[in-house]
Amino acid sequence: MASEQQIVANRRNARKSTGPHSGAGKERASRNAYRHGLRSSITSTAAYAKQLDKLVRKIAGDTDDPILLERARAIAQAELDLARVRQAKVALIERASAFGALDPPRVPSSVTRIIRLLNTLNRGRLIVPKPADSSATMPSHEPDRSAEAIRRVLPELRKLDRYERRAAARRDRAVVALGLNNF
Amino acid sequence: MRRRNELTLLPKLPLLITESADEFDALRDAFKQEIKPRGIIEQMYVHDISSIVWEILRLRRCKVVIINSAFRIALQSLLRPLLLRQPGQSGYQVEGETEALAQAWFTDQEAKKRVSELLSRVKLDESAIEAEAIRRSSSDLELLDRMLTSLESRRNKALGCVAEYRASLAHQLRESADRIIDGKGVLRLEDAASKRSTAA
Repeated sequence: MASEQQIVANRRNARKSTGPHSGAGKERASRNAYRHGLRSSITSTAAYAKQLDKLVRKIAGDTDDPILLERARAIAQAELDLARVRQAKVALIERASAFGALDPPRVPSSVTRIIRLLNTLNRGRLIVPKPADSSATMPSHEPDRSAEAIRRVLPELRKLDRYERRAAARRDRAVVALGLNNF
Repeated sequence: MRRRNELTLLPKLPLLITESADEFDALRDAFKQEIKPRGIIEQMYVHDISSIVWEILRLRRCKVVIINSAFRIALQSLLRPLLLRQPGQSGYQVEGETEALAQAWFTDQEAKKRVSELLSRVKLDESAIEAEAIRRSSSDLELLDRMLTSLESRRNKALGCVAEYRASLAHQLRESADRIIDGKGVLRLEDAASKRSTAA
């Protein structure tokens, strides 16, 4: 654990930082808090809101009981969250299958590569390294291509899986609560 | 063929473009046959269970492909030290022969025989290739296994939830029936019946 003095020094040093300066750095920092976008409200689009209302009505029936309606809403919302996360999983796999990776290819920027670039300049000819093309290493045939796409996005799929599990647990709790409400 | 979904309110399971919607529908119909869902909540669980099982099948297929696609590299890493042991072989020559042999192993019987012969010199057989392929893909396989375990536990939980929901519904219906029997409604019916009999 950091001592009082260290904490003070850390805070003093942190105040000296003025954040990222380059465009790329600012762009990257702007996404610091962003994870998967699945926490944004599901009722944000009109189509989702309509679907949600229909599902609530189907679960609750003709009742006007506000508690029953609220519990039905919780079930419907969790169910649509599950659908949303499943859609996100498939979209990630399809993207990796099409491009070979989720992030756009970057020009290599390691020290070794920069030295190599300077050496070519010294020899009087400039060979600018091309961005690595991830799709070039993808298998061309199915089912190998889909499997490779899944392999490449496994860490992201695992994160989404955790989110999916929480949505399912929310729905299950709401179903139990709905059952108790009916007694 | 268009995908069938009796309860259009439930969102359809998104599929990969290489997956068959008909196959998914067949899987869901099989679960419907087994569980015989009644009401939207049970339909919801059947849809959930089918979706989870579909994903389990997808990941299991992927697991096999990951191991298979690591075979060539695994073979190369096994063959390289074996070929280097041969007298008069330079590193450059070995590299070329390793690649050629590993490539030909999948299609050429002669190459297969040569690989077996090389492996048997150190008392190994073809299972060593699979073991090396699994070792090389272990980090991916571990992640896949974690996801499969999580999905299997969610499938079992969803099945349990259907049973629990049915039990609570049955309990609720029993309570309602008891209330009707003990209540005034039934007495009134009995009164009406007795009045009818005295009048007759």
